[in-house]
Amino acid sequence: MLEAHNLGYRVGGRWLLKGLHLSIAPGEVLGILGPNGSGKTTLLRLLAGEIPLSEGEILLEGRPLAVYRPSALARTRAVLSQLQEMGFPFTAYEVAFLGRLPHLEGRREKTEDHAKTLRYLERVQALPLKERLLPTLSGGERMRVEMARLLNQEAKLYLLDEPTNHLDPRYAMDLLQLFRSLAQEGAGVVAVLHDLNLACRFADRLLLLKGGRMVAQGRPEEVLQPNLLQEAYEVAFQAWEDPSGTRVILPLTATRG
Amino acid sequence: MVNQPQFSFPWTRRYRLALLVLAILLPTTLLLGAGIGAYKIAPLEIPAILLKGEGVEYQVLTALRFPRVLGAALVGALLAMAGAVLQGLFRNPLVDPGLIGVSSGAALGAALFIVLVPGSASLEAYALPVWAFLGGLLATQALWWIARTPFGTQVAILLLAGIALNSLVGAAIGLLISASTDQQLRSLTFWTLGGFSGVTWRLLLAGLPFALLALCLLLPLARGLNALTLGEREAFHLGVDANALKRQAVLGSALGVGTAVAMAGGVGFIGLVAPHLFRLVAGPDHRYLLPGSALLGSVLAVLADLLARTLVAPAELPVGILTALLGGPFFLYLVMRFKKEVYRA
Amino acid sequence: MRTAITLFCTGALTLAGLAWAQPFRAGDTPAKGRQGTASAERIVSLDGISTEILFALGMGDRLVGRDDSSLYPPQALRLPSVGYQFRLSAEGILSLRPTLVVGRDDVRPPQVLEQLKAAGVKVILYQNEPTAEGAKRKIRLIAQAVGRTQEGEFLVRALERDLLALKAFKAQNAPKGKLRGLFIYARGTQTTFVCGEGATPVGMMELAGLENAAQGIQECKPMTAESVVAARPDVIVVFKRGLDSLGGLEGLLRLPGVAQTPAGQRRKVVAMDDNYLGSFGPRAGRAALDLFRAAYLQEGFVEVAPR
Repeated sequence: MLEAHNLGYRVGGRWLLKGLHLSIAPGEVLGILGPNGSGKTTLLRLLAGEIPLSEGEILLEGRPLAVYRPSALARTRAVLSQLQEMGFPFTAYEVAFLGRLPHLEGRREKTEDHAKTLRYLERVQALPLKERLLPTLSGGERMRVEMARLLNQEAKLYLLDEPTNHLDPRYAMDLLQLFRSLAQEGAGVVAVLHDLNLACRFADRLLLLKGGRMVAQGRPEEVLQPNLLQEAYEVAFQAWEDPSGTRVILPLTATRG
Repeated sequence: MVNQPQFSFPWTRRYRLALLVLAILLPTTLLLGAGIGAYKIAPLEIPAILLKGEGVEYQVLTALRFPRVLGAALVGALLAMAGAVLQGLFRNPLVDPGLIGVSSGAALGAALFIVLVPGSASLEAYALPVWAFLGGLLATQALWWIARTPFGTQVAILLLAGIALNSLVGAAIGLLISASTDQQLRSLTFWTLGGFSGVTWRLLLAGLPFALLALCLLLPLARGLNALTLGEREAFHLGVDANALKRQAVLGSALGVGTAVAMAGGVGFIGLVAPHLFRLVAGPDHRYLLPGSALLGSVLAVLADLLARTLVAPAELPVGILTALLGGPFFLYLVMRFKKEVYRA
Repeated sequence: MRTAITLFCTGALTLAGLAWAQPFRAGDTPAKGRQGTASAERIVSLDGISTEILFALGMGDRLVGRDDSSLYPPQALRLPSVGYQFRLSAEGILSLRPTLVVGRDDVRPPQVLEQLKAAGVKVILYQNEPTAEGAKRKIRLIAQAVGRTQEGEFLVRALERDLLALKAFKAQNAPKGKLRGLFIYARGTQTTFVCGEGATPVGMMELAGLENAAQGIQECKPMTAESVVAARPDVIVVFKRGLDSLGGLEGLLRLPGVAQTPAGQRRKVVAMDDNYLGSFGPRAGRAALDLFRAAYLQEGFVEVAPR
């Protein structure tokens, strides 16, 4: 579905990303980890087609990203970026409906488009919010509306930039659950994550970055090794298994370590 | 998060209702504007006068009032829609066509013509609009060139460049004014204060193609502008070519404002107030906002002009003073009401 | 800032004009059994000088409208005003149902003139020349247009008599050297201009035998302290209303630079009625004579009222 070869991105002679390879198959969830400034968000922006590559190649469904027109791109991939303030107070319904935009190219909107919007609002349990103004929603409510907008794009690939930021554990789990089920339906998911333990439970594979270079890539148990994490984050980590057999990772503070 | 009051508006019904009311209001206003004026003509006699096809009354109606009322409607629509589009583009409800330097660019074009082309009085009625339009376009082009970065056009840079350009153009106009003769100065002030008394059929027909082109450029932007309210990156994620959108929006509004300014001079406030009022009454969805603002702008401009030419007849008030005087308080009232409604404050 | 001032001035002028405008009633215009061409039944005058000339020609009762600058004779103030002559509207003028419109050739917007002609109204325009010859041309043009050539010639002859009297008086009281006169236009202390060549009051000063101290200035330019000092005026001439707007003589003398001029040191200031000083019409000869007297024969501050 998505293949990236030898990715490089340079700003003014400095490489923010270099020599990255990655691929996502349908039904797969890839988590991107790394300390602040390691190039996670830049990588996501490159994959989204927002900024041009300095080096390498990204293939989406077998075609280079650069040949896609923005609307064709939007029918193939959907992006959840950090929430911003809205320019004007739209209703939740209007925001969710915006997800239909790439499908409306050159035609008028039909009842079907509105039916879909309602269905997706329902799926994320945001239907009762539909006539509320976005600025009056809480962070969790707002995130659910954004989710409905993403679903409305009916894309094959989802790119998520720290989707659980500012969410309490319940909303965070709901959200990750939703993307897991989307993956089960055949979508590919790439998510930038901060929480190592959530990443461990949520992702099929993990990519660990440091300074724009790959430190490790592979299954969560392979990547979430204290020595690799220490190399990336420059803090000591300890790992153990919880009773269900899932790995739990915690950083060790300098005094205790 | 504190408890939010749960309230619901039938939003789309409200949009449609607002458009319907405006669609009825505009023809009514046009008839009112054509029927009332300093020259007393009984409204019921108008059909008979038009059928007769001659006489002073016929001249007043067909040569003076009709082009004037239609010109006001066109200028109002152009300013309001350009205002709505620019507000959407900059994601800021306080943006005015004057902000990105279109208006002052047009003003500079006009000032250059008046001061630098000597003995131009006889040509003025026809050449001035062209210069104003060119000035507006040139300013926008310069702005575009300044605001471009390797990563596309950033709105913040565009805004800053607009501010810089505005003050530069303002200084250039100030320089021209201090270098101009008394008579040229009179032309400049007439022109910068604005008004519809100079609108003739010829001027109207000359401006019409530009106006239509501007509307054709601006109206299809509605969906893209809706996406843009989420942010520039989000708009791109939704398949909007943000740079193409910006280019079309800036070109369209330069064309619209340039044409409006050329026809009527600096008639302020409509580009700011009309989109605002529509948003407060109906909502911010650009699919309704753009046509709604255009209709509302037309209505406001025709009414303001009607008052300007009848209140102190046979003399006339500058229409810009009226638009500000009437628009301001009403607008403030709506803002206060809106604040109460949404924030319960 | 300059724009703001200009806009403010224009706005203030317009509003001032509105205050003077009177409601128009059909009964105000008798004018029956008078001689004159048919096209001069109902006249709108778009300039102060044409209004003055029309009244002097005995056509005052044919006037149905005026502009904001038409303030003389006082009867003119009873007429409805169509506004500032550089901010006109055709319909406003037509609503007075004129048959003839008279005014300067540089009224604004220029389209108004075409619109008036298209509505079948006769339009007579003259060039604004600040000279005695220009005054004569205006009188003859307007007199002919209203069919009162005879009365027009009387006015021209009267003006010529006044000019001769001025010449004789000047010769009798031959000054040793020409005084340098500076005209300052003021609307409040923040809006002060120095006027030179081409400005009407300066034309009047020259007719009155004063030398224009503001050399190299075309029409009016914003006043600066140094330009006033450099002009070295022996006498400063102002409009009466301009002086009032500065707070009288003391206010004028406090303007930067004025106190450093010979005129300022001797408090030699002539304040003249605005329309009297600023109009090259039938009264031009008398106005010049009065200005000559005030400048050359009287000491200190002089106020000149119209006659």
